[in-house]
Amino acid sequence: MKQLVTLEVNGETQEFAVEPDTTLLGVLRDHLGLMGTKRGCDSGGCGCCTVHVDGKAVYSCMTYALSMQDHKVTTIEGIGTDTERDPLQSAFVKEGAVQCGYCSCGMIMTAKQLLANEAKPDEEAIRHGIAGNMCRCTGYHKIVAAIQSVANS
Amino acid sequence: MALRNLKEFCSPANQQQVGAVLDKYGDGALVLAGGTFIRGLEARGLLSEVEALVDIRKLGLDGWSATADGIRIGAATTFASLEQMPDLGSAAWLGALKDALAHPPLQIKNAATVGGCLAAACPFFDLPTAFMALDGTVNTQGAAAPREIGLEQLLVGLFENSLEPRELITELVLPKPSGRSASAFIKLGGTANDLAIINVAVRLTLDANGQCRDARVALGGGVGDSARRSPAAESLLQGQAITDELLQAAAEAVGQDIEPTTDHRASAAYRLAMAKVFTKRALNRALARLN
Repeated sequence: MKQLVTLEVNGETQEFAVEPDTTLLGVLRDHLGLMGTKRGCDSGGCGCCTVHVDGKAVYSCMTYALSMQDHKVTTIEGIGTDTERDPLQSAFVKEGAVQCGYCSCGMIMTAKQLLANEAKPDEEAIRHGIAGNMCRCTGYHKIVAAIQSVANS
Repeated sequence: MALRNLKEFCSPANQQQVGAVLDKYGDGALVLAGGTFIRGLEARGLLSEVEALVDIRKLGLDGWSATADGIRIGAATTFASLEQMPDLGSAAWLGALKDALAHPPLQIKNAATVGGCLAAACPFFDLPTAFMALDGTVNTQGAAAPREIGLEQLLVGLFENSLEPRELITELVLPKPSGRSASAFIKLGGTANDLAIINVAVRLTLDANGQCRDARVALGGGVGDSARRSPAAESLLQGQAITDELLQAAAEAVGQDIEPTTDHRASAAYRLAMAKVFTKRALNRALARLN
């Protein structure tokens, strides 16, 4: 049986009727059509579903939509526009950190909180900070370089 | 969805509402906070009877406070919040907790809670092993009377805790040990964010002569149905002067108190061997913190 929840996503508030176990990921992709957040393992480990809830990176596939009442959700679509990209988005493009792109949005959302927590993390701190995000393509080297370039700027 | 009998997601705002929901659904209610292990339980087919998810994060059970006697940590305190404790970086007795908190990825730390982590009774988790070496106890509400439960009495089996129906963990208490104490935790994992193959937490208290006045050795990972202490190792250490031979003997002794398992991560033989290696390393790490 569906229940109602009011969600603020990227600054816009809307009411949804969802099943009790509908995840935040489900609302973002299936109700709001925000496809930047990806569905990978759907079990809280690969990280491609990473979004911010109240500025904190979480696995949206493991977050129940009905627990999001009164919380602020930010997705990759909410951190920059086509004309004004978030520095991390520009850096990922410039450094060649995107191959298939499936991990990229989640990586950027994690990196964004990482840099908010610590302005100039060293390489080890960056690698440790993105440990909850998996990439099968790049070998992480250019992802780390992209994050480092933003940290050092 | 594996929660095929799920009827309702509840977010009670006070203890009364919690009681009402738990009364309504009985064994069909699953209490959660961060819910970061729900998928793990679902994948193991353990949640097919769940009728209600009960999110207890509106009850004000988050937050920690430090006194001269120790630290009280609300059950709904996230790992990320716990990392903010000022003493964590400097207090040698909390070393095991600091070490354990380094492992979960950011997305888990922002959601996972101390109470949920303990109630899950998953031997492969890290924090419970550290809490056990730190003599952690939990306070509960909702049973016939509020009670205090030691972690060895709480973690009774694989994904099995000793909580009564309607009983919730409200806080974890870590008593500050007297004298010169330091703790350490080490995890042997497969990948950056994998569950432990084995983990070890130790706490040593030395007297003025450098003899071991008190010792705790706790192990988790694939060491049996639940995280546990090693009385064999602890009794060898207690009252003795610390030497490399003593630490080696204590490390060997943990073999008497674990029942290592074989799974896709590791064999029992490997786990047995590594439990000893990592016990010795954890003991040395704790000792280094005392100097």
